[in-house]
Amino acid sequence: MQTALTGLIKERGQTYASIAHRTGLQARTVRMIATGETPIDRVAVGTVRQIAAALGVTAAELIEPVLPQPGDPAVSRSDRLAHAIREVMWGTAAPGAYPSPVESSDDPLDDPLARADPADFFAGTKAIDADRG
Amino acid sequence: MPIGAEAYRPVKPSAELSCGDIAYLTLSRTREAGESPPGDVYDPVGRVPAYPAPATLALAHGREVALDTMFALVVTHSCEIDRQKNRGADEGHWDCRLTVAPIVSEPRVRFGAGAAAEAASWDAIATNAPVASLYLPAVADLSAIDPELPAMPWPRAFADLRGLSTVSRRMVGADRLMGLSPDYLGILQRQMVRFFVWREVARHDQVEAMVGRRILSAIPANAKGDRLAVALTADDGSSITVEWLLG
Repeated sequence: MQTALTGLIKERGQTYASIAHRTGLQARTVRMIATGETPIDRVAVGTVRQIAAALGVTAAELIEPVLPQPGDPAVSRSDRLAHAIREVMWGTAAPGAYPSPVESSDDPLDDPLARADPADFFAGTKAIDADRG
Repeated sequence: MPIGAEAYRPVKPSAELSCGDIAYLTLSRTREAGESPPGDVYDPVGRVPAYPAPATLALAHGREVALDTMFALVVTHSCEIDRQKNRGADEGHWDCRLTVAPIVSEPRVRFGAGAAAEAASWDAIATNAPVASLYLPAVADLSAIDPELPAMPWPRAFADLRGLSTVSRRMVGADRLMGLSPDYLGILQRQMVRFFVWREVARHDQVEAMVGRRILSAIPANAKGDRLAVALTADDGSSITVEWLLG
């Protein structure tokens, strides 16, 4: 998981060890906070301040933004969606590793089915189970 | 093929649900505690990086439910969604399950094989070459689709068919953003068939394995130039796609 702390550490060319050295925390503790294994809202305020100081940022910059939950009646639909687009689709932290859907080293454009127009692809296919429509 | 905003259509909150709806949802996946799709190589912490802030609910026997709050694409066929309604069933008894695919955006992920491979992957995704994804083009200003939203862009993304899960009708209805255009729905349907049934043209050993079997169906997939792709299903249930040279 990419947290605000992960992004700040990378952005400032720091490491878990260097932050640990400057704060007196264990590197493992810093890593667990940075990876989200230990959620930032469960970390002592003093520790958050120490890490923030070591990075030269405010403690607020380490706090993950609160994501409005789907269906939250306290927030309007447009506000929920706008906030979610900013946080979920764009985000502020560094991008995370993810397995590409491209499955092989073969030229993926060489698959005729991938190029088929849907009208051709389904041509000749009978309508089925019509009473479901 | 639509390559931009024309891939989408506006959806009013009161509109009927349909295949291709895009909504902000909480998706669930069950697993043994500590399991970490897509694997340690990608995320040693056991979370899916593109799925932000997963929560977990403990189950018995060392199992858990991981909850990912993110945008997702409805892939259940619209006819299936309307089925109970069209049969006159009481709304309270409509089947609530809608199958959705999580949406993974470009700014949130890196495929991890260098800039050139990254670009090649997105080029392939953008042409819907992979069977496991449906490309979702960027939109410069979403307020053009939904005037209630502030002017803001939508990044290019893909719906990941490897992560399908089910959610309720009301959850989709509450936070729908937009839908796929009718033209682009055809591409989604083609991708669904490719993902679940038809893959690339069969390798020689797959064809050899079908020798001696009775062919139950032969469905022409498409014809391009002097080639005709045909999906064959044998009496043992196996299926392959072959290409014939015409003429």
